[in-house]
Amino acid sequence: MDDMLNRSDYILNVDGVSKAFGGTQALKDVQLHVKKGEVHALLGENGAGKSTLMNIIIGLLQKDAGTIEFEGKPYHVKSPVEAMNLGITMIHQELNPEPNMTVAENLFLHRESMKGKSFFLDKKAQNKRAEELLSKFSTPYGPKTMMKDMTLAQVQMSEIIKAVSCDARLIIMDEPTSSLDSNETDHLFNTIRELKARGVSIIYISHRMEEIFEICDRVSVFRDGTYVGARDMDGVTREELIHLMVGRKVTSVFPKVDCPIGDEVFRVEGLCGNGFEDISFTVHAGEIVGLSGLVGSGRSETVRAIFGLDPIKKGKMFLNGKEINIKNPRSAIKKDICMVNEDRKAYGLCLFRSLRENISLPTLPDRQRKPLINQQREKEEVATVAEKLTVKAASMEHNAYSLSGGNQQKVVLAKWVMASPKFLILDEPTRGVDVGAKSEIHTLMSQFASQGMAILMISSELPEIMGMSDRILIYHEGRLNGEFSRQDILDAHVTQNDILAKEFGQ
Amino acid sequence: MKKLLALLLTMAMVLSLVACAAPAPAAPAARAGDVNGDGKFVVGYISKNTTDTFHGPINAHATATLDALVADGTIDEWTGILDGLTDPGKQCDLADDCITKGCDAVIILPAEAEGAAPAVQNLTDNGVAVVVVNSKTTNTDELAATYCGSDDVYAGTLLAQHVVDNCPNGGKYIHIQGVLGNSAQIQRGEGMHSIMDALTNFEMVEEMTGNWLSDEAQRIATDALNKYGDELVAIICDNDDMSSGAQGVCNEAGRSDIVCIGVDGNNYPLSMVKAGTMLATVLQDGVGQIQAGIDAVVAISKGETVEKLYDVPFVLVTSANVDQYYTGE
Amino acid sequence: MEMKSVEKKSFFKTDEFKLFMGKYGIGVILFGMLVILCIVEPSFRSTRNFINIAKQVAINGMIAYGMCLVITSGGIDLTVGAQLALAACLLGEFIMKREMAILPACIFTLAITTFLGMCNGLLIAKFNMFPFVVTLSMQLVIRGLAQVISNAQAISMTKEAFKNIYSGFVGPIPVPVILFLIVTVIMYLLLHWTKLGRYILATGGNEKAAVASGVNVFWTKVLAYTISGFLSGLAGIILTAKTSSAQSNLGIGYETDAIAACVIGGTSFLGGVATVPGVFIGIFIIGCIYNGMNLIGVSSYYQTIVKGAMIIAAVLFDKMMNQRT
Repeated sequence: MDDMLNRSDYILNVDGVSKAFGGTQALKDVQLHVKKGEVHALLGENGAGKSTLMNIIIGLLQKDAGTIEFEGKPYHVKSPVEAMNLGITMIHQELNPEPNMTVAENLFLHRESMKGKSFFLDKKAQNKRAEELLSKFSTPYGPKTMMKDMTLAQVQMSEIIKAVSCDARLIIMDEPTSSLDSNETDHLFNTIRELKARGVSIIYISHRMEEIFEICDRVSVFRDGTYVGARDMDGVTREELIHLMVGRKVTSVFPKVDCPIGDEVFRVEGLCGNGFEDISFTVHAGEIVGLSGLVGSGRSETVRAIFGLDPIKKGKMFLNGKEINIKNPRSAIKKDICMVNEDRKAYGLCLFRSLRENISLPTLPDRQRKPLINQQREKEEVATVAEKLTVKAASMEHNAYSLSGGNQQKVVLAKWVMASPKFLILDEPTRGVDVGAKSEIHTLMSQFASQGMAILMISSELPEIMGMSDRILIYHEGRLNGEFSRQDILDAHVTQNDILAKEFGQ
Repeated sequence: MKKLLALLLTMAMVLSLVACAAPAPAAPAARAGDVNGDGKFVVGYISKNTTDTFHGPINAHATATLDALVADGTIDEWTGILDGLTDPGKQCDLADDCITKGCDAVIILPAEAEGAAPAVQNLTDNGVAVVVVNSKTTNTDELAATYCGSDDVYAGTLLAQHVVDNCPNGGKYIHIQGVLGNSAQIQRGEGMHSIMDALTNFEMVEEMTGNWLSDEAQRIATDALNKYGDELVAIICDNDDMSSGAQGVCNEAGRSDIVCIGVDGNNYPLSMVKAGTMLATVLQDGVGQIQAGIDAVVAISKGETVEKLYDVPFVLVTSANVDQYYTGE
Repeated sequence: MEMKSVEKKSFFKTDEFKLFMGKYGIGVILFGMLVILCIVEPSFRSTRNFINIAKQVAINGMIAYGMCLVITSGGIDLTVGAQLALAACLLGEFIMKREMAILPACIFTLAITTFLGMCNGLLIAKFNMFPFVVTLSMQLVIRGLAQVISNAQAISMTKEAFKNIYSGFVGPIPVPVILFLIVTVIMYLLLHWTKLGRYILATGGNEKAAVASGVNVFWTKVLAYTISGFLSGLAGIILTAKTSSAQSNLGIGYETDAIAACVIGGTSFLGGVATVPGVFIGIFIIGCIYNGMNLIGVSSYYQTIVKGAMIIAAVLFDKMMNQRT
């Protein structure tokens, strides 16, 4: 990396920062050096630790170890407001403005103009100050415009103006263009160049390579919570960056057992919905299809819609060749389509109910032919399936809350296995699960497939996708952008780099 | 966990202390009124409630008097104020508790004429002498040892007569009722209407409930002032918490000529009569009623016969006689 | 239990103890209360008094079971008190004014309160309104209806056969106690042994997960409120028989005791956690507070304080034993 000739060239110096959540090491001894007046890209796969580091810098999280220097002074903040006062602001990807505030009120939130030393707001003075600020950026809205009447781009711009008006010397932008059209993006880039000219530094987080090449001066790459390296944008290639991001070989061993692939079980044609468009694919009996793509590329949105959690705008679904219509999860389950949600705590479990109740919940309609549930049979069946899936719990009467993440995930799997689905959707089946449980879950997936189940798996981990899938479908910005077969991967025709390149839209 | 145990222990201790504090029965001479033969004469007291301004002084007087009677040995024990929560169902439960407790006589201030009747029935079925105070249950005449109270129908006529006397030219008036279905509300209204409805120069323009509450009466009075203006001459209320509220609104609006009147003789309305800001109020002598009730209980304890009815009269309190009833505060 | 605590000092911190207390702790508290009351107050320990308590809690008990279902589904039902009044006024109208036979009158009354309960549920589930707001408003509507029907007059329920619903006996046991026990058994089976009960627990426990597990959350919620309406109607019939009067101002504030019984019995206000035996015990704890303290001669002011303190203690206790965060 570049020589550290003069530390005073740097506005931000992060060294040796680590952060762990429970047992997971989110950041391990990372560094980041941002020069004055530069636009510095931060690049990495999902879960590489970018957000964690940014949250530490703006005070939402506290680091476990390491040092941060800002403008040559040791820097340690406990809240975003404190960070703002010191000169660092973050423009979040998800902007949540108060809809009933005016632009001026939002601009001066937490530092309102007061009448003298009284408790009363001086709205007039505040609007005047806002007017002056806005005129510098030639915005199409005034200080009294309501936040709810503005477009996302305008809200974003007002956040940037707010940052500038707070005398921010470092602005962090997290995926700033994710919801902007190309005109708005151009406008944003002009603003960024203006800021740069004034000597403001910017940390720019994005998955869009083109943008990084267009607007950034330097780039730091993170992988698996570690710092991989930094490069000047001049003279670096896309391929090199992707290689830096992936870096590793497929080291984990995946117990994927090949099994004969049968008839088509599930097919979608031209499916459109919120966050995805024109999706068509098929899944066969005994086949594991992997969906890969960046977070927000529309993978989860698609399967949520298939399972009836979100509405479908257009398109058809077929089960065993017959067109089906799914209004809600209940109708999906009736048709033997089941889904393990990526958000286990929100959609998977009733944490304060017993394992038995959790596991038998989807199958209760089959269980209750008479007025009362046959609890004896229920207990036996739950015990059998729990044993099969090696759920480790003292008894099935314990709360789901008391289990570890991996065991909770197995309980979620158990409840769907109990429903013996024809088509099983697994969204991030091994997220937040320890290594041992992970490989057990992989073994189970292979077993299910060999029993003739059709499986659709989403994963953000490329090794998992590559190790477990018979076919890989790649999402890019809501559309399918490529397909690889297991043979291609086994023959090493296709590498992680190829998949990642597709994910980044090539 | 330790704290929890400590809490439980403390509770247990408090309870046992209370139990110890209860007067130990001194080997009593057999009492004539001891119906259940446990050698003690125990008095139960089922209040209507422990919150409103009318029943507060009644309960306080009862507590003082009954405590004194226990102290001087006239009676052996009393239950303390049992809170009826203005709920007839609750009063039925309390009657059960009194029987369990071995009461020989029970004073009850019924929450409802109909609803509290089963309580009286249950008590008398178990041989307990029942002294009904303040308002009657439907079975009081038949079952109770005595009734100590005042005639609400008569109170209603006093309200009406006062208005007639002070508004010689007649005019429009409104009637603010108590909680609907309550016997005092029904009977006072009945008495009032028996006079007012016969008069052609008075017109009742509105009749609605203020639920015995001053602030609701104020709201109703404000609306009526706006609606009927100068034509409004009087506001008749079922109690004087409401009439004093209504009068306050009228006075503030510069309409102190409007005659507001209600029943009870609570402290604040009396102070208004004293200050001359309200013409009059109708005093219900609650303390007099409970005293009559306690006197009856003492008589029962001695095996004496008691009258079936002690009528404690309502009194129209005006500036002429207010000093007699208003003690100041 | 005490013997063990001598052997091993840290017994109170063991998992076994916590599991035991988490499940049966509330029963231990009731038992403790009964023992203390029996020791300090001779008149408390008569069979007659225990039957009295059971009779006294029957009305609150029925309401509490309905309330328990609703709270467990993630809501609240503030209409129960008004439902009692409406049931009373309907009975007055049907039996005394229209001279209907008692059984059909009761059935009609139950049908109407059940229907109104269902209206609560439909408003809440269909339009996703806050249960607190909906039932707070419906409570006014229902009490208003009661006033309209009764014209705010009290009607005397003079029929002995009707009064017997409260004062009658089957063998040595009062009718309301029998009804209460039957309802208890049915509610136990409903909550713990049927699909609906499981669905109510799941819906309140985690609505999103329930939806994603194929639970029809809409009807689950509606049914919880419907059952609550039915049970308040039943409680209303008993209350009317008890006071032998039909009037629109009955049942004011009855929801407080019902909620208290649920909470003391371990029903979580977050929803999804409740047991019928727990609520059953909670109901009796409330009953014992009233009855026991009256007999001891504790002032009613302190009774109120004790009731409030009990609720807070119950919730704290539950938190400590079951460690819900």
